[in-house]
Amino acid sequence: MTVTKIVEIPLVLEIPIGPQHPALHEPLLLKVYADGEEVVRVDINTGYNHRGVEKLCEKNTFYRDIFIAGRVCGICNTVHANCFVRALERILDLEPSPRAKYLRVLAMELERIHSHMLINAVMAEILGFDTLFMLIMRDREMVMKAKEILTGNRVLADYMIVSGVRRDIDETKRDRLLSILDKVEKRIKYYRKLFEEDATINLRLRDVGVIKDVDASRYALVGPPARGSGIKIDARASDKYDAYDEIPFNVIVRKEGDSWARMMVRWDEALESVSMSRYVLEHLPRDSNAVPDERRLPRRFPPGETFTRAEAPRGELTYYVLSDGKPKPYRVKIRTPSFNNIINGGFAYIGYTIADLPAILVSYDPCISCMERAIVIDLRNNKKMYVSLKDLVVGGRK
Amino acid sequence: MATAPSLPSRLDFLKDYVLKTYSMKPNRIIIEVDSKYVHKVFELFKERLGFPNFYISTIAGTDFPKENTIRVDYYVVVLPEEQTIVIRTYLPRDEPKIASIIDIVPGALAGECETYDLLGVYFEGNRFLKRAFFVPTDVVEKGIFPLRKDSKV
Repeated sequence: MTVTKIVEIPLVLEIPIGPQHPALHEPLLLKVYADGEEVVRVDINTGYNHRGVEKLCEKNTFYRDIFIAGRVCGICNTVHANCFVRALERILDLEPSPRAKYLRVLAMELERIHSHMLINAVMAEILGFDTLFMLIMRDREMVMKAKEILTGNRVLADYMIVSGVRRDIDETKRDRLLSILDKVEKRIKYYRKLFEEDATINLRLRDVGVIKDVDASRYALVGPPARGSGIKIDARASDKYDAYDEIPFNVIVRKEGDSWARMMVRWDEALESVSMSRYVLEHLPRDSNAVPDERRLPRRFPPGETFTRAEAPRGELTYYVLSDGKPKPYRVKIRTPSFNNIINGGFAYIGYTIADLPAILVSYDPCISCMERAIVIDLRNNKKMYVSLKDLVVGGRK
Repeated sequence: MATAPSLPSRLDFLKDYVLKTYSMKPNRIIIEVDSKYVHKVFELFKERLGFPNFYISTIAGTDFPKENTIRVDYYVVVLPEEQTIVIRTYLPRDEPKIASIIDIVPGALAGECETYDLLGVYFEGNRFLKRAFFVPTDVVEKGIFPLRKDSKV
């Protein structure tokens, strides 16, 4: 029998993950190269959802840009708006009232709680715990309600305004918020214990995607991925913006550096945020007005530049704003935490298996589809054909 | 009006390369450097401070068509005090080229790719640079760098 065809199976398989997949939260393409089960290289492709927000900001006035900034991200919209509003306040040399500063912190910390609960829920789903996903999402709804009581909306708050906030709270709302925080705290403590003790979660996350502290700073990782590797970066503690200089809190840092550490950092931070929110509600200054009269805000922006940082749930968020004295900003540069974490974070997948990949990806914050193929070389015609491994197994029979 | 701040003592090693220093609100120190020394400056950062004592927060490019320059700012955060230092340099607008620093600081990858795709600053030595990294392909086909002031998108 003469050999007419040989099957050449490439040593390294290319597996595109994304840009569209039910488990993906953002349109992103991870091109994974795998040697058997082991990931040897990851290429990251972006550009599926670039909306040109920076250019849009240059085309609109400073005050309109506050709402554009709030729409960069749904989950962390108050942090975006806050970072941009503080940049404008630096240019205008304005300072919000103490009560407004406390209320801003409350809105941002509520956002951190629900964001951390969301990603932990997604992690539970990725690991196969669909019930846990639903339970965390159910309890997260309490935080959304709290945010609605405070800002008037579950998700997009549009709460920040130059030199203040847009709504104040009264005693009734304060009591309702405190009772919600009590309920949420119990649930977060329960889920934290679950992530700490559950055998399956530990097996799937411990020692997976380990990032050393040196690598975290070399690849400019921020937020929980950096803090989970023992690097203490927290813009709240270092820049002390708004009322963070008066509210006591701990910066959570863990040494392990694996996916599990990143998720635990998030649970611990959520608990810190609950106690910070409670502190805000119990110590809310009464001597000043939190809501400024929007009609009296300055209309002219002097020339100047500023670079503000905020600690978003996913890490350090920065805004650079340059004003040349005209009604519109000359340049707005936004750097979101995921921009660094996802694009630079490709190195953490290498050496782990394909099954670990979603866990590592979600531990940063976004996921997975698979496609396998082999090359069939027809020796008679010297032709190459691509067929999937599945077709190869059934011998071309359908 | 911004006063000229002195270089922090930890960053004394940069003094030979500083053109001038000034500050930006709130509390950021801007260090202006000639574009041909930017690579050297980051080599010194790595050598003297070392990882994990600093990271590159972001790279921001701004187009100034009147001055015919493109300004590139490297935002470096020095740990553990988390002080933000801005390394600022100017490039000619006709041929904006600068040495890539990803061989020293791989964390600059995202910022360099973005600045190339949106502003057309070419980072020599960065083999990951490509158009359509963020910009939609129809804009790329027209050869437009969207964040340049004269481009209409």
